[in-house]
Amino acid sequence: MQLQLTWDDPVTEEPQQRVSPLPIAFGRELEQLPREIDGQQVHQIVLLDTNSEVSRYHALIFEVAGEVILEDRSTNGTTLNEERLIRGRRPLTTGDTIRIGTYNITIALMQTEDVGTTRLTGGGSTSTVVFSPQTNILPADEILDETPAPSASSSNTIINFNPETDNLESQPVISTPTAPPQPSRRVFPPADVFAAERVSINALHATGYPVEEIDYTAIGGGMGSFVWVDTIRICGVKPDQIRVLTLRPGRPYERYEALLRNCQIPRYKRIRSGSDSCPDNVWGWPGYALREAWRETFSGRIPSAISHLWEVFSEPAFADTYTPIADNVFNSMDREAARIGWDRMVRYGSVRAIRKTEDGRYVIAYSATKPPAAGSAQPPAASDYRFLVAKYIHLSTGYPAIKLLNDLQDYRQSTGDTRKVVHGYEPHDHVYEYLEKNGGTIVIRGFGIVGSQIMDRVYKARMANAKISVIHLSRSPKAGNKFGVAKRYVENHWEFQPFNWPKGTWGGDMRSMLEAADPLRRRELLEAWGGTTTASRGSWRQTVKQGLKEGWYTLKFGQVDKVELNEQGKPVTYVKSRGYQGIEKIEADFVVDCTGLVSDPRENPLLKDLIEHHNLDLNPQMRFHVENDFEIKKMRNDKGRMYAAGVITLGGPYAPVDTFLGLQYAAHRSAEALAGARAPKIGHLEGIGSIWQWLKWAANMSP
Amino acid sequence: MTPTLFGRWQTRIFLLATIGLLVTWGFASGIFGTERGNVYYWVLLYYAVIGLAWDILYNYLQKFMWDHDWPGAFQLLAGIAEGILLAILAAVGVLPNVSDHFDLLMFTIHYASIWVAVYLASWVVMRLLFPRWRFRGGEWVGKWRRTS
Ligand SMILES: Cc1cc2nc3c(=O)[nH]c(=O)nc-3n(C[C@H](O)[C@H](O)[C@H](O)COP(=O)(O)OP(=O)(O)OC[C@H]3O[C@@H](n4cnc5c(N)ncnc54)[C@H](O)[C@@H]3O)c2cc1C
Repeated sequence: MQLQLTWDDPVTEEPQQRVSPLPIAFGRELEQLPREIDGQQVHQIVLLDTNSEVSRYHALIFEVAGEVILEDRSTNGTTLNEERLIRGRRPLTTGDTIRIGTYNITIALMQTEDVGTTRLTGGGSTSTVVFSPQTNILPADEILDETPAPSASSSNTIINFNPETDNLESQPVISTPTAPPQPSRRVFPPADVFAAERVSINALHATGYPVEEIDYTAIGGGMGSFVWVDTIRICGVKPDQIRVLTLRPGRPYERYEALLRNCQIPRYKRIRSGSDSCPDNVWGWPGYALREAWRETFSGRIPSAISHLWEVFSEPAFADTYTPIADNVFNSMDREAARIGWDRMVRYGSVRAIRKTEDGRYVIAYSATKPPAAGSAQPPAASDYRFLVAKYIHLSTGYPAIKLLNDLQDYRQSTGDTRKVVHGYEPHDHVYEYLEKNGGTIVIRGFGIVGSQIMDRVYKARMANAKISVIHLSRSPKAGNKFGVAKRYVENHWEFQPFNWPKGTWGGDMRSMLEAADPLRRRELLEAWGGTTTASRGSWRQTVKQGLKEGWYTLKFGQVDKVELNEQGKPVTYVKSRGYQGIEKIEADFVVDCTGLVSDPRENPLLKDLIEHHNLDLNPQMRFHVENDFEIKKMRNDKGRMYAAGVITLGGPYAPVDTFLGLQYAAHRSAEALAGARAPKIGHLEGIGSIWQWLKWAANMSP
Repeated sequence: MTPTLFGRWQTRIFLLATIGLLVTWGFASGIFGTERGNVYYWVLLYYAVIGLAWDILYNYLQKFMWDHDWPGAFQLLAGIAEGILLAILAAVGVLPNVSDHFDLLMFTIHYASIWVAVYLASWVVMRLLFPRWRFRGGEWVGKWRRTS
């Protein structure tokens, strides 16, 4: 008998699965776990915990007379399904969930014959450690050897951003015969020149491609690049010293807005960030709430103005947290972009590789060939490859790719169907159009903010057609994370938190705790604070309650075995759940993945090349290891420096990296570090100088 | 706000020593039409010093909030509590140089003026003067931690 164990990574929410022979011991410390019991080899699972709820040797699962038994050996107990077990024994069956600390582990019993190729990880070594969270910062080459690299099978991610157009693409439906041939990525940059550890400037010129030079370069041109450029502009750098390379030269929020639209948040809706997370204003004052209240006061909507001010005064204790309307954020960014001369700094460029140069700078190889607009009959433009040599680089390329849950990915690959099983971040308006017309059932996977937006959209669709029902499917019920004396609030299995991390992680004591911690402690903290949550909004919580009461919204728990297309052409989800004999089948018209999974940086060709060529360090979440000031230390080249921001740095010294305010924090830290390193024209922003700059902002004058 | 303990202390000291002092000078010099006297400076001093102890309590209570934050509403409640304690201490005669000529009405006006000025400044002036203030839990001096 073997056991299949499934849980979610508490930080990224990615499902983890291991198969192991019995007996299995769980605990906080590997050294405390037994290696042998009655002559039988024991397998170990190490679980982290910051709340001292997991004992050093916490529990054991073993087999007697064909029965699988869970034995708790801990101080604080183990929860089996809903029952709390302290120092007792219970038999286990498939579909049971055991909770130890913050880990919810779903069990499936497997006869040894079923196991097939799924073997223990660890590269066939003799290790009996089934799972032990990685807490070290390791150079890429050591990691690639050890764990199955995600890039080893390119099927891992099937929703990519096109490297020329930035459009989301689903793998199985690419190359239609009429599509123009993709420009070959081989010829540029020239492999021989870029194979060197440090590239010589002469060698660059010898290639015949144009070479330009600049002091500062922002790669990405999205939200993270915008706030960084804004910060260094305000700290004194001039537009002609800065170049921004991006696939979206139109607006800095273009990709972000596209993703918002896909997950059913049009411009007039409220997004999930704070009043003082202002990408257009480094000071965070006046915040969006004050600005909105101001406008409302002058258009006679006094009660609404007062309610927004009340929100920022008393949130989250006595009122729902204020969040700004997307349109207001975008308009404010347009104004700021014009003020700092954004258009003068931005160029279209698909960045392909970055190398150190012999003279203490970096060379960025990019393609400036604009892809023809979608649907246009124009032939593709002639290739325009270029080099940009820069001394300081800021890397903020956003999500490397978007990841579907494994079973949904398998479904798409085996059926080729990308219409009925969709990711919440993909364009999928057809789902609601169909449902409004014909009614039907939609399965939602995941409880995050995307899930809540989609619930909202379905609620609207139900106004047009009441024959729509929602099945919300999750592996295990939510218990609510704990940290110290505080606990996160849960209602109807939705876990609430104003933003995607606890507020104290942006600038408060949690920020300083994380920064001070060693890698192990960092991972523990991130696990305690992480997890998918949604923002508490009164009207929306009402929708959930109403749906449950009226029966069109149901919650189901269980582990998905597979998703298949049935004869009626509908996706059927097979769920191993407790209380059902065998397997429950859920037939639906659509399945929407709202887990919001984002893939590993190594899925993106530019980042993969950067990591592998320079053997960069990766943090325990397999993202870029950055210093507290967001520098990628291994890229340091004499005076040259490179910084990163955004989701590619998740798992390091700062938790909310993928948020407006987090991006501003990263920009602030790197700008201070650059000022400390005497980079050209950049100064510290504080005191009277800061007030002066704010006055310029208020008067809409160039910094 | 999401302050750290050091941030609370630094912010309190900075704001009371600037805005708080300015307001108090207005009272002490009589330009607000009050009776001149040094008692106002003493009130400010006690407000600051006892406040440092209050901050330890707030920092402890803050951990009970999942988000470890300190909403504006709590600042108001805290301000009221601090004012009441100061008034009681003055009235029972344990605050040298204040208790001898304690006038509850004047105290209330003075204390409330400082509180409002400091409260507004903590939302506006600190942010504009020190952009790093909000990223450091209210600490406006000191270096960032060095290690990675
Ligand atoms: C649906 C959704 C809602 C969100 N809501 C909020 C919110 O309410 N509040 C909040 O604070 N945060 C929110 N976030 C998180 C975060 O703030 C945004 O994702 C933000 O856009 C991240 O900025 P970024 O710079 O990392 O990436 P992006 O803004 O996505 O920018 C990345 C840019 O890099 C470019 N790029 C990539 N590769 C290359 C290459 N090789 N060469 C050239 N250019 C390249 C892309 O074209 C893109 O323009 C949300 C995220 C999502 C997905």
